[in-house]
Amino acid sequence: MNLTISNLTKVYPNGVKAVDNLDLEIRPGMFGLLGPNGAGKSTLMRTIATLQDPDSGNIRFGDINVLNDKMGLRRILGYLPQEFGVYPRVSAEDLLDYFAILKGVSSWADRKHLVDEALRITNLEEVRKKHVDGYSGGMKQRFGIAQLLLNDPKLIIVDEPTAGLDPAERQRFLNILREVGTRNTVIFSTHIVDDVKELCHELAIMNGGRILKQASPEVAAAEMEGLLWSRKIARKDLDDFEARFTVLSSSYNRDNSINIRVYSQTSPGSQFQPATPQLEDVYFVALNKDEGTMKN
Amino acid sequence: MSITKHCLLKNDNPLQSRRREEDPMFTKIYTYEMKYWMRQPSVYVYAVIILIYSTMLMHGMSGGWDPVPAETAAVTITNSPLKINWMMNFFMQLMLLVIPAVVGTSIYRDFKSRMHTVLYSYPFEKADYLLAKLCSGLTTVIAVSATIPIGMVIGTQLPGVNPRVLADFNFAAYVQAYFIYVMPNLVLFSALIFAVVALTRNIYTGFITLVLLYFLQGITGAVFSGLESGYAAALFDPLGKMAANYETQYWTLAEKNELMLPLSSLVLTNRLIWLAAAIVIFLATYRHFTFSQQASIPGLRKAAGRRIVKQNFGSIIRVALPKVAFDFSFASWVRTTWRLSNIDLRFILKSWMFISILLGGILAVFLQQAQQPLQHGFKILPTTWKMLEVPTLFFSGVINLLTFLYAGILIQRARISRSDQLVDSTPVPNWTLLFSKFLALVKMQILLLSLIMIGGITVQAVNGYTRFEIGHYLFELYCMNLLGHVIWAMAAVFVQTLLTNPYLGVFILVFGGMGIGGLKDIGLEHQVFHFNISPFFNYSDMNGYGSYLPIFYLFKGYWALLGSALLTLTLVFWRRGVSVNIRERLSAALPVFLSRTGGIGALLLFAFVASGTGIYYADQASSHGVVTARKEKQFLTESDARYKRYVNTVQPRIADVKIDMHLFPEACRFEASGEYWLVNKSGGNIDTLIVSPGFEEYTTYDIKYPAEPISLDSVIKFDVWKLTTPLAAGDSLRFTFEVQNMPNTFFRRNSNVIGNGTFIGDDVFPRFFYRTLREEPDPADSSAHQFTYQSFDSDYVNLETVVSTSADQLAIAPGYLQREWRENGRKYYHYKMDQPIKYNFGFNSGRFAVKRDMWQDVELEIYYHPEHDYNLERMMKGLKGALEYQTKYFSPYQHRQARIIEFPLSEGSYATTFANSIPFSEYRFLADVEDSRRGMPDVPFYVAAHELAHQWWGNQVVPAHSLGARMVTESLAEYSALQVLRREYGDHKMRKFLRFDLEAYLRSRGGSNPENPLVRVETMQEHISYAKGALVFYALSDYIGEENLNRALRKYLEKVKFQEAPYTTSLELLSYVRAATPDSLQYFIEDAFEHITLYDNRARQVDVETLENGKYYVTIDVTVSKFRSDGSGNRSWGNDTGDSLRTAIAGTEKPVLSLPLADYIEIGLFAEDPDGDGLGEPIYLKKHRFTEIDNRLSIIVDEKPHEIGIDPYFKLIDAQPKDNLLQVQ
Repeated sequence: MNLTISNLTKVYPNGVKAVDNLDLEIRPGMFGLLGPNGAGKSTLMRTIATLQDPDSGNIRFGDINVLNDKMGLRRILGYLPQEFGVYPRVSAEDLLDYFAILKGVSSWADRKHLVDEALRITNLEEVRKKHVDGYSGGMKQRFGIAQLLLNDPKLIIVDEPTAGLDPAERQRFLNILREVGTRNTVIFSTHIVDDVKELCHELAIMNGGRILKQASPEVAAAEMEGLLWSRKIARKDLDDFEARFTVLSSSYNRDNSINIRVYSQTSPGSQFQPATPQLEDVYFVALNKDEGTMKN
Repeated sequence: MSITKHCLLKNDNPLQSRRREEDPMFTKIYTYEMKYWMRQPSVYVYAVIILIYSTMLMHGMSGGWDPVPAETAAVTITNSPLKINWMMNFFMQLMLLVIPAVVGTSIYRDFKSRMHTVLYSYPFEKADYLLAKLCSGLTTVIAVSATIPIGMVIGTQLPGVNPRVLADFNFAAYVQAYFIYVMPNLVLFSALIFAVVALTRNIYTGFITLVLLYFLQGITGAVFSGLESGYAAALFDPLGKMAANYETQYWTLAEKNELMLPLSSLVLTNRLIWLAAAIVIFLATYRHFTFSQQASIPGLRKAAGRRIVKQNFGSIIRVALPKVAFDFSFASWVRTTWRLSNIDLRFILKSWMFISILLGGILAVFLQQAQQPLQHGFKILPTTWKMLEVPTLFFSGVINLLTFLYAGILIQRARISRSDQLVDSTPVPNWTLLFSKFLALVKMQILLLSLIMIGGITVQAVNGYTRFEIGHYLFELYCMNLLGHVIWAMAAVFVQTLLTNPYLGVFILVFGGMGIGGLKDIGLEHQVFHFNISPFFNYSDMNGYGSYLPIFYLFKGYWALLGSALLTLTLVFWRRGVSVNIRERLSAALPVFLSRTGGIGALLLFAFVASGTGIYYADQASSHGVVTARKEKQFLTESDARYKRYVNTVQPRIADVKIDMHLFPEACRFEASGEYWLVNKSGGNIDTLIVSPGFEEYTTYDIKYPAEPISLDSVIKFDVWKLTTPLAAGDSLRFTFEVQNMPNTFFRRNSNVIGNGTFIGDDVFPRFFYRTLREEPDPADSSAHQFTYQSFDSDYVNLETVVSTSADQLAIAPGYLQREWRENGRKYYHYKMDQPIKYNFGFNSGRFAVKRDMWQDVELEIYYHPEHDYNLERMMKGLKGALEYQTKYFSPYQHRQARIIEFPLSEGSYATTFANSIPFSEYRFLADVEDSRRGMPDVPFYVAAHELAHQWWGNQVVPAHSLGARMVTESLAEYSALQVLRREYGDHKMRKFLRFDLEAYLRSRGGSNPENPLVRVETMQEHISYAKGALVFYALSDYIGEENLNRALRKYLEKVKFQEAPYTTSLELLSYVRAATPDSLQYFIEDAFEHITLYDNRARQVDVETLENGKYYVTIDVTVSKFRSDGSGNRSWGNDTGDSLRTAIAGTEKPVLSLPLADYIEIGLFAEDPDGDGLGEPIYLKKHRFTEIDNRLSIIVDEKPHEIGIDPYFKLIDAQPKDNLLQVQ
């Protein structure tokens, strides 16, 4: 089932246009929503997750008109917000049972199976009796996935789930998500480009409430072929290069020199090496274009 | 570059600026915090609500809402220092609710926002931080509390106030009340709640503390209810209220109206103790508070640490969720509602806020039930209704408070724990969430209510009271009380959904709840306006709830309609998902409002308004429109304007009464017919006949004498007839009548006939005078002696009655039973009195058991509810004791029979005397006499003796309608009863009874009526006629001798016995008493009867020396002082010639004043009491004559005294009875 968003707009009382006349079509599979903090990702995701009403626009998921039939969507929705807490002093098991009740699983035996399986999948079996509010960040995120799975969702929305996870936890988390995402539509927002690179069939880059680019990671990278250049420069020259070129990223080397990546239709100079496009480059180019800081 | 900088702290945070500026940290944090509080809307809401409330209340008390200024002779000044203090403290107690919300929050919000994880790593001092937090919270609380005096002052200045109840603006009184009581209390409780929240890092613990303190008050109130423990309670009352009460307990009206509250050492010590406590609490907080991430819970030690290594390598896992059934049907969600409510309930029950409140509550309820406060001066058995009644007021408040709070907590629970987005994106319908929370609240209420039952049954079992009525407990708790709580839960859920701050919700709900009581003061008198208030009722073992239940359920149903409407509207405003501001919430609510939900809500609301209107008009229609006190007042004024001029119209007097009274208990109605013979005893012709039928009855009558109507008023029920041929002196006329009660309606029972235990008086029958309150003339006014103190149209009458009732009951009227028969399935009784009696009778009917006994040839009977057999023997003994005493000293008993008849509590708690019947309230049948051995009055015995003594003092001797009449009836009946009691218990035990009477008199002196001397006592001044009168006559019998006094009383009685008009007065009685008093004691007559005189005697010092011969040489220093008081309570020390004594006593600042003395006062030396709870046996007891204020006495006794005292038995009226006794060191 496709998720179709059309003409969606949301303006906050303080005048910020969090979503600006946005159109988006999302097919089944993993969909990555990439954007810096404050791009409007969370607002968009909350709106899709029926938690916030837009000022105007339309959202459809298959046959469901999301804005008119919120309950219809909630039945098949799995949502993991960017930040969430849990009731204090309640064990994972009890809390999952609680969410299973909320999600309409009325048989006790069914809930038991479901909760057991969700705990197994998220590898929380051992700590099932522990209070969730005492969990570490990764465990808590896995708990978030566990609760999300309970109603066998067709549409899954996860908002910046990997922020703050250590590498092992992040990997584990992404594996689960990937596994779940094979059969359903998963929308996955992040500001970490690697997350998208590893997982997503398709991505969109968002900033300022608008979709700047939508493509598959491979296609997007391919589009950059021949447009990226890199060079090693001294620290003191950085300002100069930034003034002259579209510097997408810069990183220190151990000898205190700096590697810069530059976007350019033509070779910016003989010192520059052609570089293989990365997803990061796509992201930075899109943002730079949007911010109007492209030099050429 | 795409590196975004994040600041954890905003720039206006002062914590960053430490390095920049050198200001002390305290100032920085404090300023920052104050800015925060000044931005909080809730603070302004608190302030405005309190301001409005204090203004309205003060305005109401200043007569602002009374249509006509009251014209009573003496008034209580509304803004006297005492009243100001009382009001301020009342509001201060309400202010306590704000403390957790402000002071608690000031520290809690750093934990809540998790700011503390960052904050506590900053380099500032713990002391600065804590002090600044506490002070900012406290400043806010104090600022809010400033609205109390402001509101009060405004209230007294608004237009419409009655200037007679207001004194001049007294700035000092406000300052004193605020700075001595209000502010220190706010500081104390702020420190306490701050400490609790800071150390537990849980905002709700602040609230628990408050509720527990409330319990503590309930408990100490119960524990310290005795007389002796008053001082300790006053010293240690955290609010200082009891200290103020202690200092002012005997204040007279004048003192109450004028004096500033004394800043006595007691008050100051109390204040200092608690201020010191506040400081200690803060220092303890400082010591125990740490800038750590976790709360420190004292007493709980951490388990030994364990190294935790998480599994760092995961593998790919197959996600294959089991196929389960999702059920989104309505039925399934209903089941879910139930399930979720259990989860919410478990959450409540597991929270230690609830657990601690529960434990405190159990203790408080139990103690309150176990230690019932004395009503009418005695305790009653722990009956089920009593167990239900005692904690209801206190504990139902707690249940409501918890309901308000948990409504907020449950509704905000997901949001507070920040899991709202998880919950809100599930497909659970809003109504399931709402009703599950509502249901959880109701279940909590059910659980809490069961405590009353558990406590009650425990108290009953402990006291050996084995009549357990589980059904009664269950019915009243769950079929009655619960309904009110459920309706409150509906309102609470509504309010807490609209708001986001649960505390503000609690505050609004509490104030709203209290505001209901004030609605009648602003003209909304009818019950349909008083949200969820049930009218008061008295349960009776005899008659159950009577006809109360239908009306109770009608109103509960009516308010449940509103509750349901609110609950539906709650759905409209239910928060789901994220909304930023009110506009978004409203725009989210609008579609729901326009949907079916809104429709149902509107329908319910409409049904509520419609039924309210219906109830209002139906009630009004069924009660001739007099449904409000205001209208009643209007009615009386109008009726007085028209007919008061007939007050002095001379009328013939009733001489003969025949009545057929048919009672229908199952229908709560009666039909009566009767016949009077009226005789013209005036000595002249009478040409006008006034007929005043019963106001609430349908009466038809026939004057069997030629007469024409002059005016017939069927509304006020007052007719005036012209007798065509005037009734000549000595002539008589016959008058027949038929009376029945107005039909009962759903809203009111219009007769005193009830299912079981009917007690219906003579006021339903037509009379021949204008019924209004008449001033009591002075006894010296001889023209006023024409009427008895109880009747304006009769002297002694012949009485003959036939009473019928349903077959299962027994009916009684004064007179002797002539015949008893059955007819048409009903019982008939024919009673006839064999001698004239006062026109004063009633009819009783009920399912009685009868106990019979004899005293000489007098039949003694007690008609009682079969279960109430606890005190029958004592009553019999009382009757016999009185017969014994009265016939020995005064005259023979005029009847052959004395019957005590029980009537239900719903009809009153008193006892009264007719000819040969003594109706006695159920309440007195249930007296708990367990304590009588320890000196509490044996009420059944005493009251039976008192009532029987009225056969002499009231029935043989009938005083005129004038001031002092009650001295003849009540004082002498009370005196007789005391003497009967003394014969039973002995002289020594009388001390406690006398002390009891003294206390009753002293405490009531400050009432709103000006005080009269005993010989001119008013009918309503029972503390004078009963308590002081009993003391005075008892002391007199002690001073001039019992035989001597009784001889004088007998002479008086023989003179006035069974006389007709002119009637006797208190002055005549006094003249006999005076004649029997020796010259040396004439001062006592003058002091006790003719003036308001009080002693202020004091035992100051005692020394005991052992003499060589083994005897003891006792030296006693006593102060003797006597003063007079005017009607308002102003003291004076000069006699008629202006003489007075004045002495400086070492160790006291002010000189002591006294009236000139030549007074005999008892000095007593006592052994140790083996029981330890009273005086031991007297070693020495003798009256000494005192002429000086300062006296030293030397007494030699054989035994070593343990305690000494001046007037140790409290025979005299002593303004400070507590300092009369002194223990030997």
